Amino acid sequence: MNERVKQLIHDARNPLNNISVNAELGKLALQSNSDIERSVAALDVILQECQRCSQTLQELADTLGSESDK
Amino acid sequence: MYGQARTRGDNVAKVLLVDDDQAFLDATSELLSMLGHSVVVASSVAEAQEVASGRVFDHVILDLILPDGSGLHILDDLENGDTTNVTLVTGHPSVKSVVKDLYGPNISYLIKPIDLKQLQGLLDSPVAKKPRAEGRSGLHFGHLVGESASMKKLYEMIERVAETKANVMLMGESGVGKEVVAGAIHYASQPEGALVPANCGAFARDLISSELFGHEKGAFTGASHRKAGVFELAHKGTLFLDEITEMPLEQQPNLLRVLETQKLTRLGGTSAIDVDCRVVSATNRTEVQLAEENCLREDLYFRLAVFPIYIPPLRQRLEDIPLLVEHFLADFNRQYQDDIGVDQAAIERLQSYDWPGNVRELRHAVHRAYIMADRDSKTLVLPDDLSSPFSKTGENRMSGITVGKTVEDVERELIETTLQHLDGDKKKAADMLGISLKTLYNRLNSYAEQEER
Repeated sequence: MNERVKQLIHDARNPLNNISVNAELGKLALQSNSDIERSVAALDVILQECQRCSQTLQELADTLGSESDK
Repeated sequence: MYGQARTRGDNVAKVLLVDDDQAFLDATSELLSMLGHSVVVASSVAEAQEVASGRVFDHVILDLILPDGSGLHILDDLENGDTTNVTLVTGHPSVKSVVKDLYGPNISYLIKPIDLKQLQGLLDSPVAKKPRAEGRSGLHFGHLVGESASMKKLYEMIERVAETKANVMLMGESGVGKEVVAGAIHYASQPEGALVPANCGAFARDLISSELFGHEKGAFTGASHRKAGVFELAHKGTLFLDEITEMPLEQQPNLLRVLETQKLTRLGGTSAIDVDCRVVSATNRTEVQLAEENCLREDLYFRLAVFPIYIPPLRQRLEDIPLLVEHFLADFNRQYQDDIGVDQAAIERLQSYDWPGNVRELRHAVHRAYIMADRDSKTLVLPDDLSSPFSKTGENRMSGITVGKTVEDVERELIETTLQHLDGDKKKAADMLGISLKTLYNRLNSYAEQEER
């Protein structure tokens, strides 16, 4: 696997990780003190991070595509 | 009331969290605060060194790669570093082996994506390598619950064997907690390597060698990568082989050879690799059954059972039930963020049942009662009938149909059980069995003759 691909896979994990942590945060905020505002904020971060992950995956697809063209 | 012993406040940990991803830092620090821990954050090595100076932390959670250098530099400057639990946040478990060489084995890992369970697991149980005076209250060797005489005997056995490198065979009924005891042995021995659990019954028959010993790329169709077996993964640690008797007899000589030579060769490989680990194996058969059923080679048995340990069934330690229930309640209360307890009447009912499925069955019963708990009084609500379809109590114990029994054996059992049930009334028994009284007498006579021989 080339270095660029490795880097992109690594980069895709970070937003996924933030999605996971924010999902837990939102859940806990609702469960423990019904904090809707905090949960919505966590959901907003999740949405942003989905976009970030999607961009990274697109870059990964482009990189792999250009490689197979060679 | 039981189950009130542990509140969140018991476990406040002081945590240093270092990561260059601001979104991760924000969310995780808030999450940890909500769990009741006190958190200090930093986004670079320099910042971490600045905020950490003069403070002592219980846990340091680190990203390995920071903008201004390796996260491991932070550890060098840490005050009281030897009592701090260090955790690396990583995207892939393979980082482990690299870091182990750099900084020793005394490190835990959070694998991305991180969830609440991982964080709780990390902060609730101190790292196994540093047995601080019995981590969680009441837990023996970080794993075991119970103060009964039979458990105290077990603790002593674990303590003794932990000082040696002997292979251990765990025996006990299904559900007694063989894997938990394996964890306790690993904890007590404090080896350098990891605890690697493997279930011999779960391996596909033709892949078992590859699972145990690993394979080289191209060793067989479908071997697209080189793969390390569980023996290699457990190097300098503990290999837990559950359901050891499920290993096919023809594979057992391979295992024997590895145990004897302490070397293995991956499938398709040419060079031998040194393996150094304690093998803890487990079976729910008794020693007599092992000998009679021919499911484990004798030579292998002696290699594996250098130190056999028998784990008592729950019905022989009913006095431990209050402690076990309390332990499970603490788990569920943490998991569901609630505070459910149990009353004395429920404890007494739990103690009057014989628990054929042992601690596992008890845990499920408590879980079920937890879900059904009375929300107002915050107490467990037990079902009307505790017994499960797998319950061994009553008559079904007699007539076990297992593979390998002959039709004659089963017929004899059936006849004898029926007679017992009818207090020896042969006429009624013959009717119930649908045979003539004469046939019944003939059978009984032949059994008597067999006994005499």
